[in-house]
Amino acid sequence: MFGFMEMPPVYPEQASKFAIEYDWLYWYISAVCAFGGAAVYGLLTYCCFKFAKSDTNTRPQRILGSNKLEIIWTVIPLLFFLSFFVWGARVWDTAIGIPPEAAKREYFVVGKQWMWKVQDPDGLRQINEITLEVGVPVKVTGTSEDVIHDFGIPAFRSKFDVVPGRYTAAWYEPSKPGTYHLFCDQYCGQGHSQMVGKVNVLTSDQYQEWKTGIYRTPFLAAAAMKNETTKGPLDGSPAWRGRQLFHKLQCNGCHFTQSPDDPTPPKAPTLENLWMTKRELSDGRTIGANEDYIRTAIRNPTEHVRSGWKAIMPAFHTGLATELDIIDLTAYIRSLKPGDLPYRNEKSPTPIGGAPKASPGAVDPPKNQNPPAADGGKK
Amino acid sequence: MVSTTTMKPDAPPVEKLDYTPQAVPPPELSPEQARGRTHYLNADNTLLGWLLTVDHKRIGMMYLVGVSLFFAAGAIAVGLVRTNLITPTGAILELDQYNKAFTAHGTIMLFLFLIPVVPGVLGNFFVPMMIGAKDMAFPKLNLMSLYVWAFGALFFVYQLMVGGLDTGWTLYPPYSTKYSHTNVLYAGLGIFITGFSSILTGLNIIATVHKMRCPGMTWGRLPLFVWAMYATSVIQLLGTPVLAVTVVMAAVEKLFGIGIFDPTIGGDPVLFQHMFWFYSHPAVYIMILPGMGIINEVLTCFARKNIFGYAAVAWSSVGIAVVGFLVWGHHMFLAGQGYYLSMVFAFLTMLVAVPSAIKVFNWTATLYGGVITYQAPMIHALGFIVLFTVGGLTGLFLGTMGTDIHLHDTYFVIAHFHYTMVGGMMFAWQAGLHFWWPKMTGRMYSDFWSRLAAIVMIVGFALTFLPQFVVGYLGMPRRYPNYPPEFQIYNVMSTAAAYIQGIGFIMPAFYLTASLFFGKSAGNNPYKATGLEWQTHSPPDAHNFPATPRVYFGPYEYGVPDGLALVDKLDAAHAAANSKYSATEGVTSGS
Repeated sequence: MFGFMEMPPVYPEQASKFAIEYDWLYWYISAVCAFGGAAVYGLLTYCCFKFAKSDTNTRPQRILGSNKLEIIWTVIPLLFFLSFFVWGARVWDTAIGIPPEAAKREYFVVGKQWMWKVQDPDGLRQINEITLEVGVPVKVTGTSEDVIHDFGIPAFRSKFDVVPGRYTAAWYEPSKPGTYHLFCDQYCGQGHSQMVGKVNVLTSDQYQEWKTGIYRTPFLAAAAMKNETTKGPLDGSPAWRGRQLFHKLQCNGCHFTQSPDDPTPPKAPTLENLWMTKRELSDGRTIGANEDYIRTAIRNPTEHVRSGWKAIMPAFHTGLATELDIIDLTAYIRSLKPGDLPYRNEKSPTPIGGAPKASPGAVDPPKNQNPPAADGGKK
Repeated sequence: MVSTTTMKPDAPPVEKLDYTPQAVPPPELSPEQARGRTHYLNADNTLLGWLLTVDHKRIGMMYLVGVSLFFAAGAIAVGLVRTNLITPTGAILELDQYNKAFTAHGTIMLFLFLIPVVPGVLGNFFVPMMIGAKDMAFPKLNLMSLYVWAFGALFFVYQLMVGGLDTGWTLYPPYSTKYSHTNVLYAGLGIFITGFSSILTGLNIIATVHKMRCPGMTWGRLPLFVWAMYATSVIQLLGTPVLAVTVVMAAVEKLFGIGIFDPTIGGDPVLFQHMFWFYSHPAVYIMILPGMGIINEVLTCFARKNIFGYAAVAWSSVGIAVVGFLVWGHHMFLAGQGYYLSMVFAFLTMLVAVPSAIKVFNWTATLYGGVITYQAPMIHALGFIVLFTVGGLTGLFLGTMGTDIHLHDTYFVIAHFHYTMVGGMMFAWQAGLHFWWPKMTGRMYSDFWSRLAAIVMIVGFALTFLPQFVVGYLGMPRRYPNYPPEFQIYNVMSTAAAYIQGIGFIMPAFYLTASLFFGKSAGNNPYKATGLEWQTHSPPDAHNFPATPRVYFGPYEYGVPDGLALVDKLDAAHAAANSKYSATEGVTSGS
């Protein structure tokens, strides 16, 4: 209860590769500032004692200034400040330049008042908790369902605002197993300080063990078997979940592959091979189809009408498709290769091995212990 | 009417001065003369006489009462906040009570204290006096700005009474526009209206400095406080309308849901942040620049020195005012702002740090070779330099893109801006208030108590916010009523020191009030200062000076003994050099 019985921490843990790079810059600036501050304080103290009024009748000197000194103390601080800027920009580059190997394992986080929903690359969902494997770089993409939040992990020296209506991202390479704080750093209302969680960094062995434990081995095995025999996304994966939604929301009422037995032509453009291609719009613009494009196309379709097609698509607001749903749909659309788009009004295939009534991702998430405010949420 | 008599030394100063004031001071009054004297406080001393006054000094005094009340209110709010943070689960407040308390602290302290305090009180009172004018350029506009401010402040008071606001002073949408059920509209109205007061004051000061300087008061002889107020006024004039626009947009959004900031219908919440910080970053310079101006006056007086590098200090104020408009994006590095945009803002932020550094170096150099005495204003001014240096240096961590990632929105930010806004501005305000109190009231406050209070405030303040740098680096986010237990010790330290600081800030209320009734008569110029505002009686006459002063010297000639002996020669030289040069030049004030 009383933290001050133990020695309190004085600097945060370094649990990622970036944290080490960050701290070098932090201590460099600290050293320069300490030196500069000491110089000012030293001179100030010297003057305050040396020139304090004494009994002797000294006269103040009449000194108006010195251009030489002005130039010196303009240029020297400026050079140091610029060194902060240059080094700071390099560190910033590292922070936002997501390496390709991290982009391969993409986590999604969705902030909402006042919780974090996290979905890992295999489709596993956790609340207020993110589980990572030590030494494996990952990308984390975030958005918000309501107000602006901020996904911050001090031990990784990482933080980014999750903003409704757009995707923002960061990446980590955890370097030390342990449990760390996850904070919401952007004020988001009453439960702002309850919007905390934990970051589990596991060793490779622990991570595999945890993963199989949580996935229920039989289900995984069945899914793996299916993957060998049939095409399509792995059961339980985000793309698979996206396909379920694609049928449930009747996207394939318009976006479909024309069947040999059904003469109805598609009412909307095909979604196969769409990812990262240039799309020509009816208002003359050309846009690259990234996740923001797909998201806008679902939430607010009139903004992106393909040239040659009519604006007939209804808007899917948050009541119909949550942010996580959109992330799953994006994963599915991303996976569509020629021939993958279903026929008109085709029903979704039943998953193998899993009980279809609840979506398999809704495996009970591990109980959220919500560590920082363990006794929080007072009264 | 325009006075045509300068104060010729027909009755030469009684004693030979060991410094050189900017103009010839009037002779000291005998006690009998002083007792029967009519001055700005007792002339027409009726309620209406005060409420309908157009005297800039009375308006300044009314501002003083107003901002002091709101300072007390803001301080009570933060007392609740700090007390609540003693335990990790919140000692006294519920979650939304806490959110309302810190929002009340932020909005009151910023919009009703820090922004109006120096322009409203000291700017109003002393800018005309320092340039030898009888009043502001637009005395009625000046009164109007006071009432507009008071009217706007009423909305804040009402908003607090009907349940408060919980958005933080930054009012970020979509939280403020769509999700908060508190009184965003009333607070927005308050911000909108007080903004006009700020604009009017700025306009008035700019016009006054341009048009009302007395003969001989050239731009190069302006006291640096006037330069700082001038730069501040330019920012107020250019920045505040943008805030007004932003608040109106947010209000329209909240009332009609038109979707400028609402992402679900195609708006962009980050647009609000751009517009908000376009004003609110320059606004921190509205708050700090006048403080820096005060420090110039106090340091030179108590060190008996010319300011080191007058031009450098004056132009650094202007530099801050200009570049300060171009750095707002450093508040938004992590808000999804574009990469190159962030680069530009980070670069300009490093540039804007330089003028502040120049000022600190010049102040330190000013002390060199002086003869320093340590009365309360000087202790506050030195406290300012020490604390503002910490605030400025820690700002570099936040302006550097790399380091801002981890420190953004943590207690490191809180500690940083309190070191500049309180450690800087609040101590500058205390320095200015104590420096000019004898002139404003004619009374001297207790030397012992004022020094003690200064030391208690400085020590209490420093100890309150130092632990917050550590806990911020550890990652404790701001605006958290509940926090992980390992941060507790830092919060307890901080709260304990906050109580000490609170005691320090209560003390002036007592000894300054007591000085009004029991204080010694201050005399015209108790600190032997050179500025024009001291070359008249205390408290000043209703029109400031017995006759329009004529300026012969720069503002800080503490090192030149008895330069006034030269005044006759200077006058003769002026007359010979330019027969057109007359005593009335530059004086355009009517009535």
